[in-house]
Amino acid sequence: MTDEMDLVSQLKNAEPLRPEAYERARTALRAAMAEPGSVRVLKETPVQNVGFPGARNRRRGVGTAGKVGIGAGIGVAAAAAAIALVATSGSSGTPVPATSIGAASQAPAAASPLVNLAAYIKANDHSSGDASVVIQSQQIGSKTPDVSYFVYADNGIYSAQSLRGLRTAITPRNNILDSGEAADVKVAASAANGNLASARIAMINNTPNYLGLGLSPSAQKKEWAKGDQAAKEVYKEKGAKGAPKPLNAKTAQEEADNLLWTNSFVALSVDGGNAAVREGVLRLLSTISGVSVAHTTTNGAATLTLTAGPEVFAGDGNQVLVIDATTGALVSSVSNTSGVPQSVTTYKVYRVPLSDIKAGKLLSDIKAGGLS
Amino acid sequence: MTSDAELIGRSLAGDGEAFMEVVSRHEAAVGAYLARRAGREAAEDLLGEVWVAAFESRRSYDRSFAEARPWLYGVALNRLRHYWRSRPAEDLVADVTGLATGWDPWSAVDAGVDARAVLRAALAKLKPEEREVLTLVAWEDLTVADAARALGMPAGTARRLLHQARTALRSAPDVAALLQDLNSVKEAHR
Repeated sequence: MTDEMDLVSQLKNAEPLRPEAYERARTALRAAMAEPGSVRVLKETPVQNVGFPGARNRRRGVGTAGKVGIGAGIGVAAAAAAIALVATSGSSGTPVPATSIGAASQAPAAASPLVNLAAYIKANDHSSGDASVVIQSQQIGSKTPDVSYFVYADNGIYSAQSLRGLRTAITPRNNILDSGEAADVKVAASAANGNLASARIAMINNTPNYLGLGLSPSAQKKEWAKGDQAAKEVYKEKGAKGAPKPLNAKTAQEEADNLLWTNSFVALSVDGGNAAVREGVLRLLSTISGVSVAHTTTNGAATLTLTAGPEVFAGDGNQVLVIDATTGALVSSVSNTSGVPQSVTTYKVYRVPLSDIKAGKLLSDIKAGGLS
Repeated sequence: MTSDAELIGRSLAGDGEAFMEVVSRHEAAVGAYLARRAGREAAEDLLGEVWVAAFESRRSYDRSFAEARPWLYGVALNRLRHYWRSRPAEDLVADVTGLATGWDPWSAVDAGVDARAVLRAALAKLKPEEREVLTLVAWEDLTVADAARALGMPAGTARRLLHQARTALRSAPDVAALLQDLNSVKEAHR
């Protein structure tokens, strides 16, 4: 006796996927694992080798510095598929100490420069619009710079290889925002006005970790023990020599600072046209003791240069962000990490009406100058 | 064998290869799931998106469930919804078109009707959630409880939806006629 379920079951046959499709899918996954948020799967080019505002230099959220090296082996190259954030050379975006040029007058007085700039933005930002447009130029080593265009709006991020391309890029199919980036943006915006301590914890916890932030001391130590055990398992799985550093007050602080820095940077690079995001990020970064701030000028404009030293990166490398001293928008990002080719990324950030982008208006028609 | 839940736990601890193992276990099933609903070409495009989405959302995985396949179907369904929403308007026919290719179960049945078209039409008339539960059970061999898990709904709800779907199919005149014909042929060959 055949029933309706039998009938439906007999309709299950479908053409099987071709072997190369499985391999292509795995390649996309490996790229995403190597550099979360970097992968955009397309028909002809499943993995885009383009720069991406949300490119993460995130050291994985588990455990301490020692685990970073282990995790780095997972996707050797991040390299091939995604995105490195950047190291410097003397490009036109190279900042110069303001004392030598004396052009930092637009910036607020700076006993606490980042917090002061956040307050300055709140009082003075007059940008309108509901979308962030980020034009990003990234040069890795001696390769030709790669210029990409991104729009962040309506909880999505869309990329194109030209300004004109942005108009048609904004479709659900092309949304390449990942949940981690969306969470980072949300927390950053909340940090503009909300409780900074809570926002700090939220931003750190956007990456899974065993830091036990907000827990009692005894509960926190239990979390650390779990983290240590997980790290040992990773070492064992990878056949790594040595042992991971155990989590303690110092290493936990270092990891917390690393996660706070990297996640905040993601928010700034994804939705930096949003004043609230810039304010929140500046307030969050002001809480990291391993970040130094200098007044500089870049191409004649007042800038702040933020340097996250090795203590923020598990003792290996650093990252330097240059931001506009009056808007807080990204100007450039430079990082040095052992074994990663140097690259330079410069940014131009705009706040514009999404409707104008969809209407195909070029930025030059929308606004003469950007935020950076 | 290490459970999927354990592998996902390891991947959250930084072991990416553990997640690749999860993928290797389920890629054929998830690929077939996609192909049944969107056709092979689209399925091949979507599979990578499914893995990336699953990897990025793995922290939400409930590790009290040892097996990840129902969860992966849920992730795949989300990607399908993105895909269906983004298709040009002229392509927005019922989700179940293109379900079956190269299959003709009716060679032994001189029914004189396009049986597949009848079934497709009947499936298309179901409510989307009814259709999802029905096809997860009928095509992916999930239990109703696992289908509920894939769809993020209580098991009782899934049972009710499956019952409604089956009743609706049986009640559809063309499907009822098909069943009658098919069973009549079987009787005749006894």
